[in-house]
Amino acid sequence: MNNTEKEFHHPPIIRITHWLNAIALLIMITSGLRIYNASPIFDFRIPSVFTLGGWLAGARQWHFFGMYLFTVNGIIYLLYNLFTKHGRETTLFRKKDAAGIIPMMRYYAGLQKEHPPQRKYNALQKSAYTVVLLLGFGGILSGIAIYLPVQLSFVTALFGNYDAARVWHFLFMGALVLFTIGHLFMVVISGWSNFLSMFTGWGRKYSEPPTL
Amino acid sequence: MNEPTKTISVKRRKLLQLSPLVLFAGCDYSAKGNVDSFLTSFQKFTDWTQEKIFDPNKLATEYSDEEVTPIEGFRVNGYDTDEPDIDMENWSLTVEGLVKNPGEYSLEQVQSFPKKVMNTRHCCVEGWSMIPKWGGTRVRDFMKSVGVDEKAKYVAVECGDDYFTCFYMPSFLHAQTLLCYEAYNKPLSLQHGAPVRIVMPTKLGYKSAKWLNKIIVTNEKPGGYWEDQGYDWFAGI
Repeated sequence: MNNTEKEFHHPPIIRITHWLNAIALLIMITSGLRIYNASPIFDFRIPSVFTLGGWLAGARQWHFFGMYLFTVNGIIYLLYNLFTKHGRETTLFRKKDAAGIIPMMRYYAGLQKEHPPQRKYNALQKSAYTVVLLLGFGGILSGIAIYLPVQLSFVTALFGNYDAARVWHFLFMGALVLFTIGHLFMVVISGWSNFLSMFTGWGRKYSEPPTL
Repeated sequence: MNEPTKTISVKRRKLLQLSPLVLFAGCDYSAKGNVDSFLTSFQKFTDWTQEKIFDPNKLATEYSDEEVTPIEGFRVNGYDTDEPDIDMENWSLTVEGLVKNPGEYSLEQVQSFPKKVMNTRHCCVEGWSMIPKWGGTRVRDFMKSVGVDEKAKYVAVECGDDYFTCFYMPSFLHAQTLLCYEAYNKPLSLQHGAPVRIVMPTKLGYKSAKWLNKIIVTNEKPGGYWEDQGYDWFAGI
């Protein structure tokens, strides 16, 4: 593999929103777990070391700051991906990407040696990055449902009721954690140069798919 | 001759190696202070957004009797005192501040208005919730009878357990804010705030103050027991 051949991967707005999102998500999850601990909906509590805010009031302050960062940053990211050519073609899953799903699964399962041709992201990556946008949206919506169950009662009603919305909010968080674990795993096996590209913008040429 | 010098230099080096830690500890402390003050300022912003979102005519859902939490599930939070300073025999509600008729009002006077019974969700800041069957006098009926200045901005309340909290006038005069004296069709029990408590289904539970003693109408922004410690001032839901 020729490492000197580089290609521009990530425009500044993607790199900035990516890292702000990483910070926002970390704030939301850790402060959210502290809030969870005040009245657990399941039969377990989260060890304090994974929580933020020190106590319930502090955790709520972090959470309600984080929710604005997460939401505003997420909207900017979404608008970029919806309304720029680069964003639409690289990240969001579209109908024509469906054909690429099975070949990529076969490749990852070791049933196919050749990496299917791709541009920046393959069909499975596009699915993941599109689904995670929906998960983020679900997290925000279920959060609104338990933040303003009287003023915005129609949002709470989407989830059934207040208690159900709390469970949904927790599940969306769990799904985002699972995504992040998978994402970090792929970052590790994709190598250092790929990781650096989220800081510098420049990474491996697209024509050379990552080798496992 | 070399040995002691060496020892000293090693010590100094070790000390120097530690110095960033000392600096870091210093930074960390001031950084924490800065983060806290930033979060406190940001909370003023979220309080402001909550005030703007609040619709004084929007009613909290009133549930059917089937949906009411069974009385065994009528919870008491863990911070309540067992012995509030309440004289049940001679209780009266003091009204002060920007009202035409300040003074002391008896339980009978508080109960002399049409009784509103409602099954509304009580949402604790901790996350749990319940739907009790509340009964009481609408705060707006009582406050109009004492000649409240509706243009006054704030209301502060004080309680028998030294608890205190505060509201914007529109929240206080909301149609579902009660001077509650009944739960589950029975007089309020002592542990639930007898003889009279606030019930305010448009706010988090810590606004529904128990063992009510005093109502003060004012234009100076009051604080609250939890609000002064970092909980949201508006606490709308």
